Amino acid sequence: MNYIKRSIIAMACAGAMITTVNTAQAANWLMLQGTEPSGTAARANVWGFVQLDYQADTSEPNSTGGYIPPKLLGPDLNTQHAFNVSRARIGVRGAALPLDDKVNYFILLEGGNNGITSIDGSSVKFTDASITLNHIPGARVRGGLFKYPGAEEGLQAIHVFDYINFTEVSNQLLLERFPNRVHPGTNPAPCDPTVTPACNLNRFDSPVGAFRDVGVQLFDAFKFGNLELSYSAMAGNGNGLNFSDNNDKLDTYLYLSTEWLFGSGDGPFREGLKFFVWTQNGERLFDGNNDGTYESYDRDRAGLGIKFLKKPWRFTAEYMKGEGMIWNGPDKATWALVPAGDLNPAHASNGLLAEGTGWYAEGGIYIPGTNFQVDLRYDYYARLDGSQYQLDWKAWTLGLQYHFNRKARVTFNYAMRDVNATSFAAGAGPNANLDGIEDRYGIQLTTIF
Amino acid sequence: MFKWLGALLVAATLSLGVAMPTFAADKEKKIALQISDGSGETQTLILNVANNLQMHYGVDNVKIEIVAFGPGLRLLFKDNDNGNRIAALSQNGVRFSACQNTVQGMAKVLGHPPALNKQAIPVSAGIARIVELTEQGYTLVRP
Repeated sequence: MNYIKRSIIAMACAGAMITTVNTAQAANWLMLQGTEPSGTAARANVWGFVQLDYQADTSEPNSTGGYIPPKLLGPDLNTQHAFNVSRARIGVRGAALPLDDKVNYFILLEGGNNGITSIDGSSVKFTDASITLNHIPGARVRGGLFKYPGAEEGLQAIHVFDYINFTEVSNQLLLERFPNRVHPGTNPAPCDPTVTPACNLNRFDSPVGAFRDVGVQLFDAFKFGNLELSYSAMAGNGNGLNFSDNNDKLDTYLYLSTEWLFGSGDGPFREGLKFFVWTQNGERLFDGNNDGTYESYDRDRAGLGIKFLKKPWRFTAEYMKGEGMIWNGPDKATWALVPAGDLNPAHASNGLLAEGTGWYAEGGIYIPGTNFQVDLRYDYYARLDGSQYQLDWKAWTLGLQYHFNRKARVTFNYAMRDVNATSFAAGAGPNANLDGIEDRYGIQLTTIF
Repeated sequence: MFKWLGALLVAATLSLGVAMPTFAADKEKKIALQISDGSGETQTLILNVANNLQMHYGVDNVKIEIVAFGPGLRLLFKDNDNGNRIAALSQNGVRFSACQNTVQGMAKVLGHPPALNKQAIPVSAGIARIVELTEQGYTLVRP
């Protein structure tokens, strides 16, 4: 990941050479989510959003009639067709004392059915609970539970995300699943709930990380004419939505972006051309060889990308790379694809020491004079990149959105998916189950208040 | 003859002299805008109203004074997000009055006076300033 570190250093130097600094009032994701507008923030601004969807997966079962998780709908993984209240969030944000709005807060509660709420049995869970101090020019301080700085797809506000589902690279490489504290002994045989109702394909006992962490972040944004530079440095527990730490090492996050502002649009739809680069580094404890003691495994992620928005056009591209703690699916509690890797973290099928790489490119057009928007995305993810058990995930997603108004829209997605183990013939090895992963489509209704 | 012409000239001048100020007063509008609540929406609205008045009547044909007091004084805080709009309106002649009674009250809460926008002109009491303006023929509007 040296190229990422070099890019960060170069961008930091470029920023340091510019001497005329003005604090930016316009928003980017760091500023939008972490601060309130100065002089205008309310004591308590209630807001939220609801997303309802219907999705269908057209995948075929394997030769014995069983299904694997990618052929079923999450988070429950027990059906191929379902309505779902995928997100229902309500929150409060503002400046507790409007006369001194240098202290801001942000609280958000999730009540929908997704990886945040369904896995540990909680029906409602905090996704955000943070306080921001804006007293030091150039070094705002945010503490608590909130989205860590990182990839655009994870950092952006989900209620303005243009697709129903994440790309596979974000879903698998970045959206963290946390290893169970106790080794299950071996990868349990997949227990398919479509065949046996009592079964559950999800073997994890903690909610997904939701691109969030509990910690402290230094950040700010600076404007030089139309150019805006932003930075963020954060230290966190590295334990997602869980309020406590699970080891004695902190995760560290670095993020830099530079954006040329076109001068129109605001909030999430501010128009500009943005480049960004980020890294995160941490360690995870896990009894990877079932010897009764925990070992520490590195979990490193890095990426860079570009985002362009000038209506009617939008374009985004990101490249991401990860080393260590490569998740192998909700049914792979030992992070290994095959039983031979269960007790050997270095086995080619085991994700504990493996790598993953991926990228995506997407774009859209807001059709002028109408309320329609057309989107197209291609994403690729190489799981266990470079190993014998490398799995390639590729998908084209076509999207159509209709905006009823600024706060409500309906989204239709059709995803054409292709997944295969590159070192195995069709029907052999992992392909025995991956064959038959087919298209998925869905419709989602979103309203924001 | 010359006396008659002189009398006519004086009469015409007088009538013109009386008529000219009346014509100017009819043409120039004077508006006092009151902001006394602290919401961001009200701040946006009052700046929009000032801008719309200038566009409607013409910058040179309308005198606008925005009087901020109570929670409305937040509009004139130094770091207010609307700083660029306030500066632009000020350049076009809009006057921004900041109530010093409110400043003193806020100082008791904050432990120090709030830092104000450089366009803010201190007035001893915002509500008294509004009374003065209405006595001077300003129309009071509270958006």
